[in-house]
Amino acid sequence: MSPNSSSSAADDLADEAASLDGYFSDAPLEPRPRYPPIDESFDRCVVISNLPKVPEAKYDKLAKVVQKLVSRIGNLASYDGGGGASSSSSSSDAAAAADPDGSFAGFFMPKSADDGVTAGCAFVEYESAGDARKAIEVLEGYKFDKNHSLRVTPHERASYLSTVTEGEFRMPEPEPFKERPNTMTWLEDSCQRDQFAIRQGKETAVYWSDGRSEPVVDYDGAREKKAGVNWCDYYVQWSPKGSYFATLVPNKGVILWGGKGFEKLGRFAAPGVNFVVFSPQENYMVTSNNNRKDPHAIKVWSIQSGTCLRTFPLYPKDFLDPNESEALEGGVPPPPFQWSHDDKYLARMGKDLISIFETPSMKLLDQRSLAADGIHEFQFSPKANVIAYWAPEHKNQPAHVDLIELPSRKQLRQKNLFNVTKCSMVWQESGEYLGVKVTRHTKSKKTLYNNLELFRVNEPGVPVEMLDVKDAVMSFAWEPQGSRFAIIHAENPSSTKVNVTFYDMYKTIELEKKKGKKGGGKERQIVAEVNLVETLEGKQCNCIFWSPAGRTVILAALGDSASGTLEFYDVDSKTLVIKEHYRANQVLWDPSGRTVATTVSQPIGGGHFKFAMDNGYVLWTFQGKQLAQASFEAFYQFAWRPRERLTSKEEIAIIAKNIKKYEKQFNAFDEAKKRKLRLQETKGKRKSRAEFRAVMARLGEWRARQKQERMELLGGYDSEDEENFTTKEITIETVLNTKEDLVY
Amino acid sequence: MRPILLKGHERSITVVKFNFDGDLLFTASKDHVPSVWRSENGERLGTFNGHKGTVWDLDCCRFSRRLITASADASAKLWDCETGECIKTFTHSGPVRGAAWADGSNMFATISDPFVEHNARISVYDVPENDDPSTYADGPRLEIEFPKIDGKRVNATNIVWLNLNEALFVTFDNGSIRLYDPVTGEELDEFFPHEKKINRVRFNRNKTLFITSSADFTAKLYDVVDLLHLKTYKTDRPVNDAVISETKDHILLGGGQEAMSVTTTSGKVGKFETRFFHLVYEEEFGTVKGHFGPINALDINPNGRCYASGAEDGYIRLHYFDKSYLDMKDPVPEETVDGEDDVDDDDEEGKDDEESDDESD
Repeated sequence: MSPNSSSSAADDLADEAASLDGYFSDAPLEPRPRYPPIDESFDRCVVISNLPKVPEAKYDKLAKVVQKLVSRIGNLASYDGGGGASSSSSSSDAAAAADPDGSFAGFFMPKSADDGVTAGCAFVEYESAGDARKAIEVLEGYKFDKNHSLRVTPHERASYLSTVTEGEFRMPEPEPFKERPNTMTWLEDSCQRDQFAIRQGKETAVYWSDGRSEPVVDYDGAREKKAGVNWCDYYVQWSPKGSYFATLVPNKGVILWGGKGFEKLGRFAAPGVNFVVFSPQENYMVTSNNNRKDPHAIKVWSIQSGTCLRTFPLYPKDFLDPNESEALEGGVPPPPFQWSHDDKYLARMGKDLISIFETPSMKLLDQRSLAADGIHEFQFSPKANVIAYWAPEHKNQPAHVDLIELPSRKQLRQKNLFNVTKCSMVWQESGEYLGVKVTRHTKSKKTLYNNLELFRVNEPGVPVEMLDVKDAVMSFAWEPQGSRFAIIHAENPSSTKVNVTFYDMYKTIELEKKKGKKGGGKERQIVAEVNLVETLEGKQCNCIFWSPAGRTVILAALGDSASGTLEFYDVDSKTLVIKEHYRANQVLWDPSGRTVATTVSQPIGGGHFKFAMDNGYVLWTFQGKQLAQASFEAFYQFAWRPRERLTSKEEIAIIAKNIKKYEKQFNAFDEAKKRKLRLQETKGKRKSRAEFRAVMARLGEWRARQKQERMELLGGYDSEDEENFTTKEITIETVLNTKEDLVY
Repeated sequence: MRPILLKGHERSITVVKFNFDGDLLFTASKDHVPSVWRSENGERLGTFNGHKGTVWDLDCCRFSRRLITASADASAKLWDCETGECIKTFTHSGPVRGAAWADGSNMFATISDPFVEHNARISVYDVPENDDPSTYADGPRLEIEFPKIDGKRVNATNIVWLNLNEALFVTFDNGSIRLYDPVTGEELDEFFPHEKKINRVRFNRNKTLFITSSADFTAKLYDVVDLLHLKTYKTDRPVNDAVISETKDHILLGGGQEAMSVTTTSGKVGKFETRFFHLVYEEEFGTVKGHFGPINALDINPNGRCYASGAEDGYIRLHYFDKSYLDMKDPVPEETVDGEDDVDDDDEEGKDDEESDDESD
């Protein structure tokens, strides 16, 4: 526009205004007219890319599928051709391209003008911005088919990307390789010692324990103390193979330590974290902050890279009854995540399903959860990708225990149970057996009784044996690596005297040899049949702790009302040793089964005063001999460093065969060590004695200098002068009794 | 050997003390009547009647002629040991916690608790032995008040005169120890050996070492001259009293759970034993059981042949040591001439049970 014309236009306007003077007012209109707000944002629009590229013939089919997919998230915006004027320009453009009549259904998939092949992308507009955000969250990375996983981008981001000019791609410099400390060094200890960590007061320390003498400090956070901080203020945790030592920093996250001298290996930001679950192969880690309001309460991390793979809310969707959830604040514990033994899967129970996630993508396995109607609890097998779960009676279906194989989802075994009140499942450590303790009620539902369902998982067809126990069963524990188990039972669950019974999954029967053969004698045969080994009656215990090496078992009375009695029982030789650790609340075996720790600990952050007394731990040998004892004002945690079982059964057998040879070596070594230690101790004691004597000599001298003055104070009397002491010997004869006898 | 049970007190024992020569044992309890016993056989020689409250502390002079007692009836009394007569009563502004003779036994000092508007204080009285008791002043020669710290009242728990009456040595319930000039009342020094209340402080006979017993589960040994921390003896219960043996390098230590929580645990595990520690190596090597309440007071006879313990259960047990204890040698052999020598491997075997076989009844 030229300045000329603009001035003439201004003149016209001025004339017009003059003629209309008096008709217009500058006062605001009352009431104000209401205009619909103009929506200028594109936040209801998303761009989906990485769609398959299809020829024109398949266009409709693809469009239909994609449309169906996107409309599941929320309603799509739609505009008529006539009303198109109100829609934003981009969608009207798109609409114009989509339909000649100008109407738009919120979905548009462009195709090439030349050959009609789709461009592999689509524009979607939702009715609300919320739906668009949800679409991004849900559909991003969605596996559309084998080769296409979708990318969903907000429209604004997409239009920004289209303006970015293509530069030349330069490979980023790979980070220089930094060798991570060897986390296995502690296993190379020349004395084959085990480690444990303790948390007490403000102290955190890792000790060596050789199963014979007092524990020795390996690392006690000296580096951190130098820097003026505590190594850890909250709980600590070992990873399942002992490579990592995790310290929890509640308002920050988790720090992993490892290698010689416990170097910092990684930091994981997880505010409010209060527990950690490591995967069995130590590749991943799950942290949780137990905050039900936080949509990212649970985080899954890759330990090596330090990246967060996925987050979850504390409870799965629909898990809590919406009516009850508020009232039950903290009442229902969130279902825990469980790792499969090989780190391949991570599973969590939901309502009527188990969600199984694959690593490392953290996507649902086969994009669907495992349906498990009425599921109450599930457990991964410790050695195979098998899930065991049980569900109570539900909609005319009996209660059942199922074994499901992954990833095929094949049902290996299902066992129906009736009149079930409660079940609890216990896997044997090597995954060979599954024991299910079933609490059943009579028809009247008044009395409860127990039986045990024992699954032989490794045998074809998974045979199940039922063991009827008339009594109430309080505890059930498998012998690790063995075929035996122990139960605590009593007629009345509240009685103080209980019985402990040992069973074996195999029975050895002796058969008479057939007459025809020479030698007669007996032949042994091992049959797969549950077999009662022994019952110990009238015990006072409530927990069973098998040694990791098997054979030895500790029957302990733990908890408030109990006395802390510890009974070390050797199941093979039937020897019993009774000890006591008053108020003990934990029994922890070291990974080798040589040493066992009993502790009295209190929760961090205080608790009831009754937890605050007698804090400390005691170390015992597996035979019940006390090795060491330590007391602390506030003792929070004791944790043995786990380690992997590296020797096979065959190797152990060879070692057992040559035990004599090894024994000599070890004994000589022990003797030398003991002697060295003793010499060292004596030396130290002599030194401190010499120092103390020097102090005393100095003090004596000082006192001697005061002698004159002191004597003056005492009126000239010298306490140290022997002349002032006289010794008198007094003999007192007392006639106790006299008796006269007549002598004939 | 079977301990001699001194039956006579009706309530918890607060203090037991041998006199300088070790032939008498003075005891006080919450039943208002301090007693004196013959330490050789446990015979009660007499009582000191007159207090109307718990007797918290007592001290007998060097030559066992006069006794002072500190009582919760807000008075300290001066007694004639031989007759058991009260020579004079000194009234205080609050319950009297501790009393101590000065060297020379011509003056003594007391500490009293805060009461209503009165602060805790030290009072020093002159009671020359050669003067007529009627000439003794009613009031103290010197008073040292303990002002409140951050608005909180402080309580003194023990008082002792240092050698040659150079300073008054006072322990407090906040874990601190202060030294005061007994002439001017000036504070000379303050230090914090403990984080919690110091229950008792005991000196060796020469007053060159002292040991503090604290509610923080430890007892600590210091030297008097430089106030240097020498040793720490750790236990798992509050320590109420610890004494240094005169004849051996041993520490006797008594304590137990606080009286208020005794009823919540069984006597079996209340840890009411007397514990024996090695003075230098800080190692516990034996225990003597017997009491069924926390031990409040301990003393070992200066001749090293017996010790007495008084407990919350109201009993005083007078233990004569077995020969095995009296013959006990330092667990670490003396160095031989060539220095680096062999250590006898069996030398320490069985020593742990040395004392613990004293039976209980």
